[in-house]
Amino acid sequence: MIGIIGSAALVLAFVASLGAFGLYFFATQKNNPKLEKIGHVLFGLKGALVFFASALLVYLLITNQFQYFYVYNYTSSDLSLVYLWAAFYSGQEGSFLLWILCGYLVGMGLIKWTGDTYRSPVMFFLTLTQVFLLSMVIGVTIFGVHIGASPFRLTSAEFAHLPVFLSNPDFIPAEGSGLNDLLRSPWIIIHPPVIFLGFAMMAVPFAFALASLWKRKYHEWIYPALPWTLGANLCLLIAIFLGGYWAYETLSFGGYWAWDPVENASLVPWILGMAGIHTMLIQKRSKIAHKASIIFAILAYVTIVYQTFLTRSGVLGDASVHSFVDLGLYNQLLLFIVAVSVSGIILYAVRMKEIPSQKKEMPVFSREFFMFSGAMTLLIVSLVIIIGTSAPLIGKLFVANPTPPQPQFYNDWTLPFGLAIAVLTVMTQYLWWNKYKDTESFAGSLLTPTLSASFISVALIIVAQVSTILYMVYIFIAVFSIIGNGIVMSKLVKKNPKMIGGSVTHIGFAVLLIGFLGAAYDSPMLDRNTINYNAAVERGEVIDDDGFPVHQTLEVMKLDINQPRRVNDEYYVTFTDATISHENRPGEQRYRIEFEHVRSGKKFDVNPVVYPMIANSTAGNMSWTVDPEVQMGLLRDIYVYVSNSSMVERESSRVQTESSFQAVADRLMNGYEQSLTPEVNNLVRLKPGASRNLGQYKIEFDRFINMAEEDLPENAVVGVQASIKITNSQTRQTESVAPMYAILYNDGRNTVQSPVVELENFDFDLMFETIDTTTDEAHFRLIGIEDYIEDEWIIIAIEKKPLVSVVWLGTFLLMFGFSIAIYRRWGDQRVRTKQERHYGDV
Amino acid sequence: MKPRVIIGTVAIVIFTSLLMWNFGNSIGSYVGFEDAELSGNRVHVIGKWVQDKPHGFDNERMVFTFYMQDETGEVRRVSYNRPKPNNFEDAESLVVVGTMRNGVLFSDDMLVKCPSKYNDASNLEISMN
Repeated sequence: MIGIIGSAALVLAFVASLGAFGLYFFATQKNNPKLEKIGHVLFGLKGALVFFASALLVYLLITNQFQYFYVYNYTSSDLSLVYLWAAFYSGQEGSFLLWILCGYLVGMGLIKWTGDTYRSPVMFFLTLTQVFLLSMVIGVTIFGVHIGASPFRLTSAEFAHLPVFLSNPDFIPAEGSGLNDLLRSPWIIIHPPVIFLGFAMMAVPFAFALASLWKRKYHEWIYPALPWTLGANLCLLIAIFLGGYWAYETLSFGGYWAWDPVENASLVPWILGMAGIHTMLIQKRSKIAHKASIIFAILAYVTIVYQTFLTRSGVLGDASVHSFVDLGLYNQLLLFIVAVSVSGIILYAVRMKEIPSQKKEMPVFSREFFMFSGAMTLLIVSLVIIIGTSAPLIGKLFVANPTPPQPQFYNDWTLPFGLAIAVLTVMTQYLWWNKYKDTESFAGSLLTPTLSASFISVALIIVAQVSTILYMVYIFIAVFSIIGNGIVMSKLVKKNPKMIGGSVTHIGFAVLLIGFLGAAYDSPMLDRNTINYNAAVERGEVIDDDGFPVHQTLEVMKLDINQPRRVNDEYYVTFTDATISHENRPGEQRYRIEFEHVRSGKKFDVNPVVYPMIANSTAGNMSWTVDPEVQMGLLRDIYVYVSNSSMVERESSRVQTESSFQAVADRLMNGYEQSLTPEVNNLVRLKPGASRNLGQYKIEFDRFINMAEEDLPENAVVGVQASIKITNSQTRQTESVAPMYAILYNDGRNTVQSPVVELENFDFDLMFETIDTTTDEAHFRLIGIEDYIEDEWIIIAIEKKPLVSVVWLGTFLLMFGFSIAIYRRWGDQRVRTKQERHYGDV
Repeated sequence: MKPRVIIGTVAIVIFTSLLMWNFGNSIGSYVGFEDAELSGNRVHVIGKWVQDKPHGFDNERMVFTFYMQDETGEVRRVSYNRPKPNNFEDAESLVVVGTMRNGVLFSDDMLVKCPSKYNDASNLEISMN
């Protein structure tokens, strides 16, 4: 029932948006404010309906209604409320809904804040995007064509071919398939909404650019569009940062950036948005570059749709770690791209002759020229990334089944342009804020940053022992850019701090460049043996069992408990202990790795985690996931994860062999509570009914057995036996014994009798040592067990990742700069609107 | 023709050719095990993990070994010089990058297609029972 209401709400929302679309068209064409008002009402109604449908979907998710496919597919009953909420946008259908909701909020903002000139055409184009996005989720069949995939479709319809639904159409699965454990992370709460807000906001410059073409007013649109574009870029930047940090810190992708298509999908619009911001600034200041601003505003949105198409239509197939369900939206997504591009191209072509263009060529020595070159460089970079991402399509020109390009392709073709941009930012900033009589005085003013950058980069190159010429040039340019923009900023701060947005972002960009260089020096940290082995492999001296040379070098090593290893001649690394903490999930294991600096003796601990993926595990087949731990440093991060261990193997075999019908999670919880510590203490203290593990041995103390009078030894005052069961969790061997503890009274003195029990199945002995009457615990000593507890070991990967913190710093500077710029441009725009209204009245 | 336009056009042509040439070199082709063996180059092979054959991490040689069936149905051993990647067990497919020698694919890069999708009904059948 709820599903039908939800689907109906979405269909109505689609109809309402179509209505608004038409009304805005005629409102613009006929300059009719009345039609526009009705359009706003329909637009608002559409938003309300989508909100309502989303609320219903969230309700279905939090009430675990697995008869709905979306609920079944993305949740399970063990999920906590936040993850049930996050499941709302975990799937494609829901993420479209989220995108539409963001678009709706943006639309309401536009209705409120946009002046009369552009309002109705802007809303027309925004509604166009909404119509297409809504068509992805309505899930109706019209004239035999199925449109969209509804989030409210039923599990029984999705799996109609399964016998269980054939025999019983009303069958409801008792449990959902759950959220992938890797996604159960707080980052999933925040990352997707920010992305979709960015996507939705990027529609604004697109809408304004097309509105300006339609209304033949080619200049004024940039004032309202600028803060929106900055806002969209800020959102995309935050989203990219969150995604990168998530991938690096918890997903163990090994780094913050991998040129994955999904990552590129937000990077390319960000770069084009950036180019657009700059041409808009040129246009604002010098009344030129109208065409470029329009083109970039259109391109930024077209690439959002194009990359959405790439990542969601299934064409990328095997190119991405992200996989989306192919919902059969290929044609619809294609139509969406065609619609946004064609409307852009046609409107532009029709008006091209009218758009103001420069009478004479731009002089080479001018801020406009440098800034324009910067924007063009950004365009080139984005084209390179688009080509790379489109490899599954474009690559067919070269090979039959194209793979994605190697990361090297992206690095080679973007970083040099990044450097060019870094230089251009300094040139432009100097020209933007100062007046120069001639090129000579301009060159003179660049002397200070050039000289100081030379000194600093030489110092850096020596300290960091950089030996590659390319990297030296790279460092010099980045430092030059930081200093040049820094000088501009320090002057601006005194004049008007509101104006430093640009220079802060440029500094942030140059800082980022420095940080990126660190990735070239990523290296595994290994002990002497492994390093020697790898060197031998490189020389081709290692031969495998079959007599073939080994080519694979090692990047991980084995650490035995409490045995320090000297790693990279820099640290002594020791695996000291491990605990099954059950902290965030059942069965979670936390390892303690101690690092001691060889020379300074400074110590720190790193605590990587390994946990079982409950959602995907069965008793016979446990799957484990690593959660790396990063020791952050200003200049380098140490990135550590444990990929396997004696404890993981033991737990797997224990869960596998335990013959119960319990769920995997319960078995994990019932297992070890012990910590794994280096000293094996052979004393076990237990209350009746409790158990403990020593290594692979489990000692269960069931109860005390009161001894019958005749069983007591001679002269005994009191005596008791303990019912004990010992299990080797690996071999499943068990033995039950009942050691005795008795107090004798002999010759006026109390003595204890507690004979050592020799175990039949195990090579150690057991003794019931004493009873602690204060805690009610019995003490058992397992004599000789130390020799049989297996060595504890871990397989560990340690990587040194230089300058990752610098990347984060650069990102924060960019965010900060964007925020200042938004504040300033938004303020300007408010003033303009007020003036416009004022003059409008007169 | 203005000199700027000529220079610009030439620059664009050179740039584009270089870019596409480099692009063409940096992409490979997905192949099956047999073609991989023949080519001897670094290749991408798509396949599925064969669950009923032995797999595991060798603590001595520090390699993760498993068997994979490629899209043509051929099964070969894969030796991966890193620990087992996250989500390996549930991957609906694997893309293994490496070179093939002596019937074994030696890999140093693996892409695990993680299932944000569970469109197969296996879980459902389990929950039925």
